Amino acid sequence: MSHVGAAPRLMLSVRSLNGVSLATRDRILEITARYHERESLAVTLSKAVDAGVDGVLASPTPALRAAMAELSRPVPIYAVIPTLSENGRHELVPGIEEVLARSRREAGAMTRLKLRVEGLVRPAMLYRGDLVTRFPLLAEAEASRVSSRALRGLVLDAWLTDLALATGHRRFFESYCRYVRRRFRVAAGFETHNLGLMLARLREWGVKPDLVVGPVNPWGLLMKPSLTEVLDELARTEVPVLAKELRAGGVSALAEGAQFARAARAHGLAPDLTEMDDPGAELRGLKQAA
Amino acid sequence: MTVQATEAPIDLAFPTSCPVLTRPIQTAVIGLGRSGITHAAVLSTIPECKVVAVADGRRDARRNLAGLGCKAPGFETVKRLLSKTKPEAVIVSGPPDERVRDARLALEAGAAVMVDGPLGRTLEEGRELERLAQSKGVPLAAAHPIAYHPVFAATQPLISSRALGKLHQVRSSMYLSRVFSVRQKSEACPPNAGGGVLAQAASDLLFLLIWYLGIPTQVRATSNSVYGSPEDELHGMMAMAGGGEMGFDSSWSVPGYPRPATVIECDGAAGKLLASDDALELDLFARRGGAGITRFGHATLPRPGRFDLDGEALYLQDSAFLAWVTGGPAPPNRAEAAIQVTRVIEALYASAKDGGKPAAVPA
Repeated sequence: MSHVGAAPRLMLSVRSLNGVSLATRDRILEITARYHERESLAVTLSKAVDAGVDGVLASPTPALRAAMAELSRPVPIYAVIPTLSENGRHELVPGIEEVLARSRREAGAMTRLKLRVEGLVRPAMLYRGDLVTRFPLLAEAEASRVSSRALRGLVLDAWLTDLALATGHRRFFESYCRYVRRRFRVAAGFETHNLGLMLARLREWGVKPDLVVGPVNPWGLLMKPSLTEVLDELARTEVPVLAKELRAGGVSALAEGAQFARAARAHGLAPDLTEMDDPGAELRGLKQAA
Repeated sequence: MTVQATEAPIDLAFPTSCPVLTRPIQTAVIGLGRSGITHAAVLSTIPECKVVAVADGRRDARRNLAGLGCKAPGFETVKRLLSKTKPEAVIVSGPPDERVRDARLALEAGAAVMVDGPLGRTLEEGRELERLAQSKGVPLAAAHPIAYHPVFAATQPLISSRALGKLHQVRSSMYLSRVFSVRQKSEACPPNAGGGVLAQAASDLLFLLIWYLGIPTQVRATSNSVYGSPEDELHGMMAMAGGGEMGFDSSWSVPGYPRPATVIECDGAAGKLLASDDALELDLFARRGGAGITRFGHATLPRPGRFDLDGEALYLQDSAFLAWVTGGPAPPNRAEAAIQVTRVIEALYASAKDGGKPAAVPA
C-alpha cells in the first residue's frame, strides 16, 4: 500500500531530542530531561495525534521506538535518516560509509541479512563512498527501525542533504526520490538548513520531492542564503515546504512564526518540542488557525 | 532583569557583511577527514571559488568525497596535486603530524595556505611556516572558525571598544563530551598530534582570548590525563599585560556536552559580559537605569554567511581567507595572529609539565 499522499500540513518535530535545534543549550537540556522517560514522550505523541498532526518528524531512535511501543494507537512517522546522535553528527566523517557501517551494526538480524543480500549488487569493493549506489543500503537499515504501518515518509537529515547540496549532486537527489517512493511507497523528503539554495537547485534540476523541511521565521534566522532569497524561492516553488524553527531560537511567539511562515507560502509547519510548553494545546491552536 | 536585544536595542556596531571574492580563484583541499570534507563542501558554495583538486593518501577517503558529488580530481600525494594543478589557495586539513609538511609544500609552490589550527604543533613549526609564507609573499592563516561564530565575532569589537572599562577578571571554558575511553582518546588525539585537549579542541578558545585581550605575559597551568598522555583536561591562569588575570578551563571528558560549549565571562569597571554559543549578554552599568542586562541571541546578531554546514562560521572563515587572497583585507586568523596561540600553548604546556609553576610566554 502506498503512503505517498498529500504532503503534511502540520507535524510535531522531536528533532531537538537529537540536538537539532536553534534553542539554547539550557532549553535543549530541559526538553531532553523532560522526555527522558518513554512514557512522557508517548503521552506527547498521543496528544499530538489528538491535536490533528499529520505526522511526527523524528529519527527512529530507541527512545522513539520505546515511546511508540507504549501506545496502542498508530503514530504516523516521517523518519529523519540517518539516525544521528549529536555526538555522531560532530564526530562521524561526512559521507555514506561511516554512517552506513554504524547503521548496519545497530540493525537487527533480519535486516543485516537483507543488507548482505542487497550488498551483493552494491559491493563496497566497487562502489565505496558512492552516495547514489550505496544509499539504498542505508535507507533499508534505517527504515527497518519503524514499522511499515507507521512509516509515512523518509526525510534525509540536513547533515547529509546539505553536503550533497553543496557539491550540486543532482543525480543523488533524483535517485533518492525515485528509490524511496518505489521501495518504501512513502513520501521522499529532505531536511535542509539552506532552504533558498535547495529550492533553487530543485527547480533548476526539475526534481520534486514530496516535502522539504527547512527554517522559516520572521527573523530570517538560518534562512540561507538570505531571508529575501528564501522568500523569493518559497513564492516560486512547487515543492511543499514545511517550516521549522518558527520561533527563531525563542525570540518570536509560535503563533507569530506560524503566521509568518504561512504568509511566506510554506505548505505546512513543523514546530519542535523546544518551541512549545504545552504541545497538545499549541498544536491544536495551530491546526485551528490553519 | 534581562532584556532581549529585540526589545531594547542598543547601538552597537556589529560586523555585518559577508566577505566577497573580487575575482575567480582556484583552490585545493589537502586531507579528507571530517574537516577536509567539510571545507571542500563549503568551498563549493562560495561564489567565484572553484575546487580544482583534493589530496589524501587514503583511496577510500578520496572515493568518499567523490561519492558525495565533488567533481574535483583526487590525488594520492600533495606533490602530485601541486605538479598537476595550480591552485592559488590551499586548505590543509590532514592529521596534525602531516599538516606542517603539507603546508610547507603548498607554500613552496607559491599557493596561499590556510592550515587547520593551531598553526604548527610547536612554536618552531609555526614560525617556520610564517617565515616561508613571508619569503614567498603569499598569505598564510590558521583555521579558527570560532572567530566567525556570530556571538564571538560580535564580542570582539565590543571588548575592543573598551565599553566594559578596565577588566579585573576574565573566566573562560571549553567543554566537550568526546573522550571517555582509551579508544576515543586515540581517535581524538592521534600519535604525534602535539598535545591533547588544549591543542586539539581548545585552541579556538585561546585564539578568542588573545584576539580580544592580547597576549598574556605569564601563565600557570595544571593538567590531568584521565586516559593516558597527553592531557584530557587543562586549567590555566594567564596574566594580562595590562593587569588582571584570565582563567582558562578545558576538558573533553565532561558529560553533558555533545557539542563543544565555549563560554567567556569578563568583569570590567564599567560592565560585565558573558559570551557563549547561545548568546551575548551585556551589562553596562551606565545603562542600568534603563535596560539592565541586554541579551543578544542569534536572531538579533548579524549572520551574513550564505551557506550553513553545521553553522555558518566555516563558510565565513573560508570566504574571508579567499577574499584576502584575492586582495581583500587580512582576516583575524592570519598567521601573525594565529602564531600567538601557538606561543601561549607552548607556555601552558611548559607550566603544566613543571607542576603549575609560572612560565613566561615565549617571544
